[in-house]
Amino acid sequence: LDCKALPRPLEGDVEPNSFAMMYPMNCSSRYMRLTTNAIPSSQSLVLRWQLPLGAVVCPLAEAPDGEEVPIVNFATTGIVRCRRCRTYVNPYVTFTDGGRKWRCNICSSLNDVPGDYFAHLDASGRRIDLNQRPELTKGSVEFIAPAEYMVRPPMPPLYFFLIDVSISAVRSGMVELVAQTIKSCLDRMPGYPRTQIGFITFDSTIHFYNMKSSFSQPQMMVVSDLDDIFVPLPDDLLVNLLESRTVVDAFLDSLPSMFQDNVNVESAFGPAIKAAFMIMSQLGGKLLIFQNTLPSLGVGRLKLRGEDLRVYGTEKEHALRLSEDPFYKQMAADFTKYQIAVNVYAFSDKYTDIASLGTLAKYTGGQVYYYPSFQSAIHKEKLRHELSRDITRETAWEAVMRIRCGKGVRFTTYHGNFMLRSTDLLALPAVDCDKAYGAQLCLEETLLTTQTVYFQVALLYTSSSGERRIRVHTAAAPVVSDLGEMYRQADTGAIVSLLCRLAIEKTLSSKLEEARNFVQLKIVKALREYRNLYAVQHRLGGRMIYPESLKFLPLYGLALFKSKALRGGYADVQLDERWSAGCTMMALPVKRLLKLLYPSLIRVDDFLLKASSKADEFNNTWKRLPLSAESLDSRGLYVYDDGFIFVIWFGRMLSPDMTMSLLGEDLNTDYSKVNLRKHDNNLSRKLMGILDNFRENDPSYYQLCHLVRQGEQPKEGFLLLGNLVEDQVGGTNG
Amino acid sequence: MSTEMAQTDPEGVDVVRMTWNVWPRTKVEASKCVIPIAASISPIRPNPDMPTLPYHPLRCKTCSAILNSFCRVDFSAHIWICPFCFQRNHFPPSYSQISETNVPAELYPQFSTIEYHIDASAQPQLVSSPPVFVFVLDTCMIEEELGFAKSALKRAIGLLPDNAMVGFVSFGTQVQVHELGFSDLSKVYVFRGSKELSKDQVLDQLGLGTMAGRRTGGPGQGFQKGPQAGVLNLGVTRFLLPASECEYTLVSLLDELSTDQWPVPPGNRALRCTGVALSVAAGLVGACLPGTGARIVALVGGPCTEGPGAIVSKDLSDPVRSHKDLDKDAAPYFKKAVQFYEELAKQLVSQGHVLDLFASALDQVGVAEMKVVIERTGGLVVLAESFGHAVFKDSFKHVFEVGEQSLGLSFNGTLEINCSKDIKVQGIIGPCTSLEKKGPAVANTVIGQGNTTSWKMCGLDKSTCLTVFFDISSSEKSEPSGNLNPQLYIQFLTSYQSPDGQTRLRVTTITRRWIDSAVGSEELVQGFDQEAAAVVMARLTSYKMEMEEGFDATRWLDRNLIRLCSKFGDYRKDDPTSFTLNPSFSLFPQFMFNLRRSQFVQVFNNSPDETAYFRILLNRENVINAAVMIQPSLMSYSFNSLPAPALLDVASIAADRILLLDSYVSVVIFHGMTIAQWRNMGYQNQPEHQAFAQLLQAPHDDAQMIIRDRFPGPRLVVCDQHGSQARFLLAKLNPSATYNNAHEMAAGSDVIFTDDVSLQVFFEHLQRLAVQSS
Ligand SMILES: [Zn+2]
Ligand SMILES: [Zn+2]
Repeated sequence: LDCKALPRPLEGDVEPNSFAMMYPMNCSSRYMRLTTNAIPSSQSLVLRWQLPLGAVVCPLAEAPDGEEVPIVNFATTGIVRCRRCRTYVNPYVTFTDGGRKWRCNICSSLNDVPGDYFAHLDASGRRIDLNQRPELTKGSVEFIAPAEYMVRPPMPPLYFFLIDVSISAVRSGMVELVAQTIKSCLDRMPGYPRTQIGFITFDSTIHFYNMKSSFSQPQMMVVSDLDDIFVPLPDDLLVNLLESRTVVDAFLDSLPSMFQDNVNVESAFGPAIKAAFMIMSQLGGKLLIFQNTLPSLGVGRLKLRGEDLRVYGTEKEHALRLSEDPFYKQMAADFTKYQIAVNVYAFSDKYTDIASLGTLAKYTGGQVYYYPSFQSAIHKEKLRHELSRDITRETAWEAVMRIRCGKGVRFTTYHGNFMLRSTDLLALPAVDCDKAYGAQLCLEETLLTTQTVYFQVALLYTSSSGERRIRVHTAAAPVVSDLGEMYRQADTGAIVSLLCRLAIEKTLSSKLEEARNFVQLKIVKALREYRNLYAVQHRLGGRMIYPESLKFLPLYGLALFKSKALRGGYADVQLDERWSAGCTMMALPVKRLLKLLYPSLIRVDDFLLKASSKADEFNNTWKRLPLSAESLDSRGLYVYDDGFIFVIWFGRMLSPDMTMSLLGEDLNTDYSKVNLRKHDNNLSRKLMGILDNFRENDPSYYQLCHLVRQGEQPKEGFLLLGNLVEDQVGGTNG
Repeated sequence: MSTEMAQTDPEGVDVVRMTWNVWPRTKVEASKCVIPIAASISPIRPNPDMPTLPYHPLRCKTCSAILNSFCRVDFSAHIWICPFCFQRNHFPPSYSQISETNVPAELYPQFSTIEYHIDASAQPQLVSSPPVFVFVLDTCMIEEELGFAKSALKRAIGLLPDNAMVGFVSFGTQVQVHELGFSDLSKVYVFRGSKELSKDQVLDQLGLGTMAGRRTGGPGQGFQKGPQAGVLNLGVTRFLLPASECEYTLVSLLDELSTDQWPVPPGNRALRCTGVALSVAAGLVGACLPGTGARIVALVGGPCTEGPGAIVSKDLSDPVRSHKDLDKDAAPYFKKAVQFYEELAKQLVSQGHVLDLFASALDQVGVAEMKVVIERTGGLVVLAESFGHAVFKDSFKHVFEVGEQSLGLSFNGTLEINCSKDIKVQGIIGPCTSLEKKGPAVANTVIGQGNTTSWKMCGLDKSTCLTVFFDISSSEKSEPSGNLNPQLYIQFLTSYQSPDGQTRLRVTTITRRWIDSAVGSEELVQGFDQEAAAVVMARLTSYKMEMEEGFDATRWLDRNLIRLCSKFGDYRKDDPTSFTLNPSFSLFPQFMFNLRRSQFVQVFNNSPDETAYFRILLNRENVINAAVMIQPSLMSYSFNSLPAPALLDVASIAADRILLLDSYVSVVIFHGMTIAQWRNMGYQNQPEHQAFAQLLQAPHDDAQMIIRDRFPGPRLVVCDQHGSQARFLLAKLNPSATYNNAHEMAAGSDVIFTDDVSLQVFFEHLQRLAVQSS
């Protein structure tokens, strides 16, 4: 396989639009994408299709202005649902009997139209009020849920912070930066005026903070009994942000100085999360953990198990990617049960067993943010941005999600970061626009008789404003009996996304190599199948052929092998880094995953030198280059952007003037020590403008700048060359 | 105590009062004396006439007794002979100047009590350290009570010497140790209230243990305060700060401190973990350097219901144990709680620290269970109805007062007793703990804290009093009488740390005469101290009631009294009318009559907490005060005579009299009916009735005199004849005017007196039984 011959996804994710054209009432593809928009009519077609059959769902994807999901309040009627299969009323239901009955598009049963919901039908059989009924015209709609959708009053948005204050946490500057960042976000956290907040800090002991609103400053309460952790107050450890704002401010102001001289080297991480759980379990919410020192005391203490090199490459290697202590899985189950989502921010400069810690995030619908060898001076902006986004983005609380589909098909497996509450109910204590979930379909019958299959995603959640809501996305797809049609309607993005999740899951039970082989085999088989379908017809002999819709699949597959989660052996990616990358990829929406797999490489020096141009002008003119060393001109300046980092590559022959202008320093300096910032010249302003622009357009993570000079080894290889997926590196090439 | 009073005091300069001042020579004779040979001593009672010596005492090289005026001195040979073991000791060179005309103070006969003020700088291990006060405050109270307790605390902190180290622990459902030295914000260490903790666990959790160094990097946390670093364990200065430095912090902390936040369901008691709070406080002071004088001052507002030391369940429908429950073994928490407090007592004693308990509640708080810690450590106890009540407020203030009013709280006391051969020590009843120091003078039988000739008194003060029980080991045959020394000697050595941190050693050496009572009991009789004997009997009875299961106190007292009267009375056999008692004994039966009726014996009228409280006071007060507890004093005020003592009898009540009763824990001013009427009409405000105004005022002035010096402050009751409060007086009076059931007694039956007999009936029975031929 010669990758140079493969088409390159230089336009990024291209969503197939045939789907929307065929079914204009379908929800937008940003909410749900099927791996193919042609559902096979038979079991045998499924087998020949070879690729995963399923969907990737991002229920809260950010909608551009003007395309917000309409909110529907069935205040008096109650929400109209099929009495048999509980499907929500949607554009694909049909009204009969003069408008008194409606037929469910999913299960075909006939339902009575509730009195209050009744409307006459016009001549064509459409309800005369159709234009006032978004739920009957739009594929995405949000219902206000009445009381029967609540087991308790809607919870307030709740943020609980668990902060490691051991010596290394303090010295890295993490504690100070976290305190500052949280404080700067207090006015922007969702849910005002109901937002609740609380803090625990820990080293070898657990420190609670009494934030009673009548106090002028908090009271610190230390609990040292790690074997038998308990909560030192019935109230006031979790407070209303508005009422206790003064105390919270005072706390965040004094937090850095309180521990600046701390010399404690221990971490009672396990007892600390138990403590947080005790405080939060009444309400649920988001638990943000800031962790630096390997848990060393009490329950959940961890070993430096990643250090035994002999395990790597053996049958035991995958165990290192699983949580060692059942404590973490159990805690994750408890957190989920009590509607708590955990985000882990890890900062260690050493092995810190994120495989164990991350379990907390993985099964609670949370996220892992990993800042290896965190130094405030270097990572300040990244942490500040990502933490701010985490605590200020719109969040859906105490959610559950279910995907229904029409007769004959069924979702069988789900892939992502969550815990299954029953066979098809995903428990999601907190969800936001940055989270996507994969699911695989199967046919329940050997032959589908229907022409169309309907899908309905329903996310029941509590909004930050305190409303219980159900977001419903509905889509239809045709049933086909032609394998070629399936391939033509294939969605590479969705396929890669599902394959990626399956492969990462496989690394938890097998060697990396086997996970890669699994993906490779899928792709090869699919392409062979397609070739068999058309080889004779096109008389193409030994050449590889692929449908237009799948033309980028081989390259993305290749890129997947080179991703941090799957790449090479142990020496290629640190265990912690690999695990956190995998955890992140499991939750990425399609677009962002594709960018991570095939980052953009852009040459910028010409633009910088253009006299008149402004940064925003660049948006319209830049071009992505193939990810190959051949794309790099030693006279050029390149920006590599995978959505998580920027690498600025300085060609060896780049004009020293430009280097000087951009760095403000001699070009012989150590680039890793340079903090790229705006200098008082046009070149610098423009470059920073470009970077700001990129960041603005991809705000989920902060792209930290890494500078590298051509030929600067091993940094160049590590940061850039190794990521040029088209180049052959270390036997991972298929 | 003024100089004048000390001089007129029957206890004399040595403040030693003995039941018998002349001792029978043999064990058999001693047992015939009925009343045990015991001495009530006040080890550090101030005495302005006592010399203080700035040097170390000379000790006998064999028995360690200290040189005293009873030693025989050979001035020419520079030798002194120990009166206890007859060892000949050479004087050291520093005594080379002594002669018949130049003797050191310790050899003056009038200086039988002397104090050595030892220069601390010479002994680094005795370097004076500032006293430590750890306040332990219950927060399971209503807002108002907590407010009272807080203001009392604030006042106390203001009274402490600037260098006193102060710590603060609050508790309710959980325990909070306040880190006063943490400057960024208010910081507490919290302990679960339900869990028993070892001292090591406490220290470890406070970051003061051996493990702590590794975790926290030990010293250098930036919390250390310079000047104390040499005196106290480095870490503990995070929690203990000089009063002058932490007063502001503590006051504002108290201002913010709220009542316990944990919800109490209806029908339940608050969860109160007094036991854990006290063991945490004990651990905290335990982190101080050995030898540091420290007091845990606990303010408790209710029963412990959580964790070790609990005395009752949290269910309000379970009442707190009564004497009846204890009797029937129906107090499921009692034994466990006592055991817990015994362990706590052991810990505190080994550390040399004191527990003071200030309890205030309408219900009981567990004084009965905690008594062991208070007594063993020499702590103070005050029981009041409310922290707002004068009994608490005045007493609490009194503890921290300095100068003339000061209690003279001292620390780290040790008492040693040396005595002549044939004298054995059975033990001590009072605020101390046996150090288990075995020796030839240790008796086989034990009373109180025994098996030793050395006792620890973690806390002691000017009024601390101990009762030492002696036994005589010789029998008549053991020695040829010719060789016997007619005098016996006893030496009490008390070393202690004075309130200002100085190390002192007080030495009292006394002598008494042996008597061969088989020969004649006249001298024996003359040496009987009835008041001391009454008090000793009261203490011994209380002790036996606590220690001996099924002990029948009334019967035991009666038997002993009858035996005493039989032995020392003058009578013809079987002729009650012939019975007379020598004046040395004449008051004793009345004491016994009142003791039988007192709260010490009639415990069922009180709660176990009150009983424990009364007994602690009985044991630690001097003989005069203890006698008042047994037999209150009654003064009568009327127009036509000076104030005069009145009979403790209903007959003393008269319409035109005011009575002033002092029963130690309460002082009652009782206005006769007519007096009350006049007062109500306001005669005292009219110039022509100035005499009446003076009459009204006189008992008040006298009551104030009594109250001022007393600790705990007594409850003052002012009442009128037939008023509801009059019961406080009536309960103490001899019921001579009630009924007389003497004739219902079956002659010749066993000695049984009913509870409510009058003094007269009691005497009649006594006379009859005393003269009976056995
Ligand atoms: Zn249906
Ligand atoms: Zn001697």
